[in-house]
Amino acid sequence: MVRSNKKFLLLIMIPIIAEAVIFLIIPILGTLGISFMDYNPLGHTNSFTGWDNYRKLLEDENFIIALRNTLCFTIFAVGINIVISLTAATMISQLRSNKTRSFFRMMFFMPCMAPMVASAVVWGRSILNTKVGLVNEIIRDMGGDAIAWTGDPSYVMFSVIVFTLWADLGYNIILFSAGIDGIPGEVYEAAAIDGAGPFRKFFNVTLPLLGRTTTFVVLMTLISYFQMFAQFSVLLFKDGPQNSGLVLTSYIYKIAFVNKDMGYAAAISVILFILILIVSLVQRKAGKVDWEY
Amino acid sequence: MGKDMNKKRGMSRRVIIFLVLLAASIVVVIPYVWMLSNSFKPQLETMIDPGHLLPKDPTLYGYDKVLTGSPFFKWLANSLIVTCTNTVVILFTSTLVGYIFSRFRFRGKNFIFAMLLFTMMVPAQVTMITTFIIIDGIGLYDSILALIIPSFVNVFGIYLCKQSCDEIPKELIESAKIDGAGDFKIYFRIVIPQIRPVIGALAIFTFLEYWNDYLNPLIYLSSTDRMTLPLALSYFSTQHSSDLSATMAAASLIMIPAAIVFIIFQKQFIKGISMTGMK
Repeated sequence: MVRSNKKFLLLIMIPIIAEAVIFLIIPILGTLGISFMDYNPLGHTNSFTGWDNYRKLLEDENFIIALRNTLCFTIFAVGINIVISLTAATMISQLRSNKTRSFFRMMFFMPCMAPMVASAVVWGRSILNTKVGLVNEIIRDMGGDAIAWTGDPSYVMFSVIVFTLWADLGYNIILFSAGIDGIPGEVYEAAAIDGAGPFRKFFNVTLPLLGRTTTFVVLMTLISYFQMFAQFSVLLFKDGPQNSGLVLTSYIYKIAFVNKDMGYAAAISVILFILILIVSLVQRKAGKVDWEY
Repeated sequence: MGKDMNKKRGMSRRVIIFLVLLAASIVVVIPYVWMLSNSFKPQLETMIDPGHLLPKDPTLYGYDKVLTGSPFFKWLANSLIVTCTNTVVILFTSTLVGYIFSRFRFRGKNFIFAMLLFTMMVPAQVTMITTFIIIDGIGLYDSILALIIPSFVNVFGIYLCKQSCDEIPKELIESAKIDGAGDFKIYFRIVIPQIRPVIGALAIFTFLEYWNDYLNPLIYLSSTDRMTLPLALSYFSTQHSSDLSATMAAASLIMIPAAIVFIIFQKQFIKGISMTGMK
């Protein structure tokens, strides 16, 4: 261990800790505190109201809708994401040429690095649009009826999930590919000698040996999908018809910055945090069992 | 014979896999093609006859409208200022603090590190409420400084750099100490070159994080002139809700440079993701 040079240490750590306290620690404690207040940045009587904001949650129909939509979106989008990205990564790993493999990884990753807002504008205005969107053009060409992808409550969530998968699958394909590349070739050779076909190889070798990667990917994807906001804000008009696309993030934004009811918004954000915390803890417990190779 | 059969079966399986993946990549690319195509169509064509894959009568009208009819270059400059400043500052602070957490001993080190890691778990929706009040309180509302000043400490970057510094051989730093090198010299001459791959990955991700950020600009900025590109695009799109070609031209101007940068640096990108597992 290096002898610590006090001057160097203080010179760096004091500003860093100050910045971290002001912009990382205080915002967390502050929001927790504000969640017990009736706080309006423009108001003068920001009073302490105890558990009122949390009690209000239980009677707030929109909060229940937002919670339900968030859970529904996250569970379906993450589930489908994991299945498709694991399948795609496995398929890519079967190809012989290195160049083809990286070509496909690149293609699937391309949408991930574009600003999600820009992708959402493109999808909202030109792909899913009811009148001039590409999807409805194709449906009409085939003799079907146009569908209001972002205007019909029964399609809203479906549309957002499809868009999200398009925009975000590439990350997990890359992560799973890295995991598959890490499995030693001898394991597959041994399986082949035992007469295992491609499907048995996948279920008996790839899947169990990818345990750690899968746990990590599922955890990261769940956490990030709970916080998805841009596509709900851009793709849908005012949270979709009958709040069919209202999620916790967009509800928090609306309550805090449109209605300026920051106390209540803080309480909802604490609920979102607890949700994320529960997922992390459950995942961590489940991820304890692991395979070594 | 049996081996040949197996080989053949493997071959045809790979051809099928290739074709499926190719079809899937075409689906992935279509929105880009459609965006570009629409950006070159006259406004009227996008409204009354939108079904053609290629524009019937290509025009630069959409691009002209974006570049001359909106403060596009101002938005681009704002985005560049915020993104470049944050990337440079975060690379500097992350490597420095990562090195300190890895190699220095001081009171409360583990506690401070644990606190920092904890903040990573807290969603932006929690912190944004109080951060907004702080930013508003120090008079930075509607200034791009609101996107820069709170970003100097990046916990993920610190964590990544600490992990990487842990792997630098002890002797390397010890011998530099014996030669009388100061802390800054050791940092620049030994630590930085040793952790270069992580710095590259971190640079890419920090750049993308701020270049693509939408939530913070949405909260802190209100004047059209001060917007960054993602916020400006969503604003432009609502302002020109009847002009698809101009909106798609604006979207192309944002998406295409990013796509080109990505294609050039794709190896580093993909290595960076598998190395850090970062989103």
